[in-house]
Amino acid sequence: MSKIVVLGAGIAGHVAASHLRRKLSKEHEVMVVSPNGNYQWIPSNIWVGIGRMKPKDILFPLAPLYAKKHIDYKQAKAVSFHPEGDSEENKPYILAEYVTGDEKGNQERVTYDYLINATGPKLNFEATEGLSPGKNKAHSVCTYTHAQEAWIALEGLIKQMKEGKKVKILIGTGHAKSTCQGAAFEYILNIEQELRRHKVRDMAEITWISNEYNLGDFGMDGMLMSYGSNIMKSSEMVEMIFEDRGIKWILEAGVSKVEDGVAHYETLDGAYKKESYDFAMLIPSFSGHGFKAYDKSGEDITDKLFRGFMIVDADYAPKPYEEWSVQDWPETYQNPSYSNIFAPGIAFAPPHSISKPRKSKNGTDITPAPPRTGMPSGITAKLVADNIIEMIKHSNDELHHKGSMGNMGAACIASAGFGMTTGSGVSITTYPIVPDYNKYPDTHGRKLGKTFGTIGLAGHWLKLALHYAFIYKAKMKPFWWLIPE
Amino acid sequence: MTRRISKYKRFMMMNPIIQFFKFIYLSIKVLIVVAGGHGGTRNA
Repeated sequence: MSKIVVLGAGIAGHVAASHLRRKLSKEHEVMVVSPNGNYQWIPSNIWVGIGRMKPKDILFPLAPLYAKKHIDYKQAKAVSFHPEGDSEENKPYILAEYVTGDEKGNQERVTYDYLINATGPKLNFEATEGLSPGKNKAHSVCTYTHAQEAWIALEGLIKQMKEGKKVKILIGTGHAKSTCQGAAFEYILNIEQELRRHKVRDMAEITWISNEYNLGDFGMDGMLMSYGSNIMKSSEMVEMIFEDRGIKWILEAGVSKVEDGVAHYETLDGAYKKESYDFAMLIPSFSGHGFKAYDKSGEDITDKLFRGFMIVDADYAPKPYEEWSVQDWPETYQNPSYSNIFAPGIAFAPPHSISKPRKSKNGTDITPAPPRTGMPSGITAKLVADNIIEMIKHSNDELHHKGSMGNMGAACIASAGFGMTTGSGVSITTYPIVPDYNKYPDTHGRKLGKTFGTIGLAGHWLKLALHYAFIYKAKMKPFWWLIPE
Repeated sequence: MTRRISKYKRFMMMNPIIQFFKFIYLSIKVLIVVAGGHGGTRNA
C-alpha cells in the first residue's frame, strides 16, 4: 500500500489527485492537503470581474466531492517539508497547519510515500509597493474573490460614467517580472466590450500597461502564427485588436509602486514615469511560498528542494539567452534529490524565462516570467500521476511519461467579450510552448499550422464550452477522464 | 480608435452561422494541438 499526498487543489493538484484515485486501487491512499475549500475554474475569473458570471458559477466545494470519491482531504496549508522524516518520525512527511474549523491553527505531520507539490504560486502583491487587491483603486482577477471585488468597483465606475464622468482605466502587469499577461489581455477586451454594452465607451480612456517588449509577447517571446491564409506575428495581431478597440498601450514597463489612482513605473530606457487611473487591474508577480525543508537531523536543506519554486529535473545552470534550449526545460517534474517528490504546474522552478531577458538602464529586470498556468498545469500533473502509478505498480523508478514545455502544445482561448451573439474570442494555439529554434529555425521556434490565431464569435463559444467541460471534468462526473487536460 | 478590421471581416467574425462551422473547426483543431501528444526533448 502506498500513500500519495497532493499539496494544493488547483488545476494541477486536482488533476493529479483525480487521476491517481481513478487508476489506483482503494488499498492505496490518495490525500489532498489544501488551504482552499473550493475548487475554482480560474480562467473564468475574468467573467466574474465584469459581472457576467457569479463566483458560484465557477467554483464548487471540494470536501463533498473528495468524500464521495474516496480521496482524503485536509483543509490545511503546508508549513515545512521533511523528506527524510526526523528523529521521531521515520517516514518522510510535511508539516501541515489546519486553516479552518475546530482544528484551526493545529499542526500535524502528514506522512507520505510520494509527494506532489502542486501549491501553485504565491500572489506576490507585496513585491509592488501599494499594490493590494481593492486598495488604491487597483484590483486583481487572480481569485474569484478578487474578481468579485473588481466587478463591484467597475460597476460603480460605470454608474459614474453614465452620470457624465470621464475616466481612465489601466489594465496589465503590476510588476516588472509578472506573468499571466493573457488574463489581463482578456480582461481589458472584456471591459472594453462591457463599456460599449453600457453605452459609455466614449467616456473611458483604456490603457494597457505591460512588462512585455512587444505586444503579444505573453511571456512566450511572442509567436509567429498562421492567421487565415497569412503568417502574422502575435504583436501584429494584438496591435490590430487594440487599435480597432481604441486601446492605448505602454510597453517595457516595470510597475514598482501604486498610489491612490497612480501607477509608477520604470521603462527599459531607464525613465521613471507614472500613469493615473480611476480603475486598474494589475497582475502581481508570482513567487514561491517560502517553504522551508529539513533533513532527518533537523538541518535546513531548503536549497535542495527550492529555488523560489521547487527544483525539478531542469537545467538550472546560468547561461546567456543565445544558449538557451528546450533541453533546459524539465520533462518529469521530479526533484533530483528526492525521487518521490514531484512539482507539476506553476509549483516547479523554471530554468529561466521564455521571453528574452531585458534589463533597464538602471539594472532592473523587466521581463515577463514564463507562464505555466492552465493547460500545461493539467498535462504536467497528469504525467506526474501516471509516473507515480507506474512506480507503485511496477516497483520501477524509471519514468516513462514525459512532457517538456518544449514538446507540448497549448491553447489560449482568450475571451474578447461576453455574449452568445455579441461575444468574441481570440483563439491562439502554440506548439511548442517553449520555442525550439533548432527544430523550427525559420518560424520563430514554432510549428506553423499548430501555431495559429483567429478572432471571432466562435472563440467565445469555445471558451464557454471549455468552462462547462472543465467544471464537469473537475466534478469527476461520468467519463470525466475522456476530456483531455 | 482606428478601424483595423474591415466591415466584411467583422461580418465574417460575428455571423453566427459562419461562426458555428468555425466553432466545429476550431474545436477539432484545438483538440489536435493540445491532445496531440507531448514528450521529452532530451533524447529526441
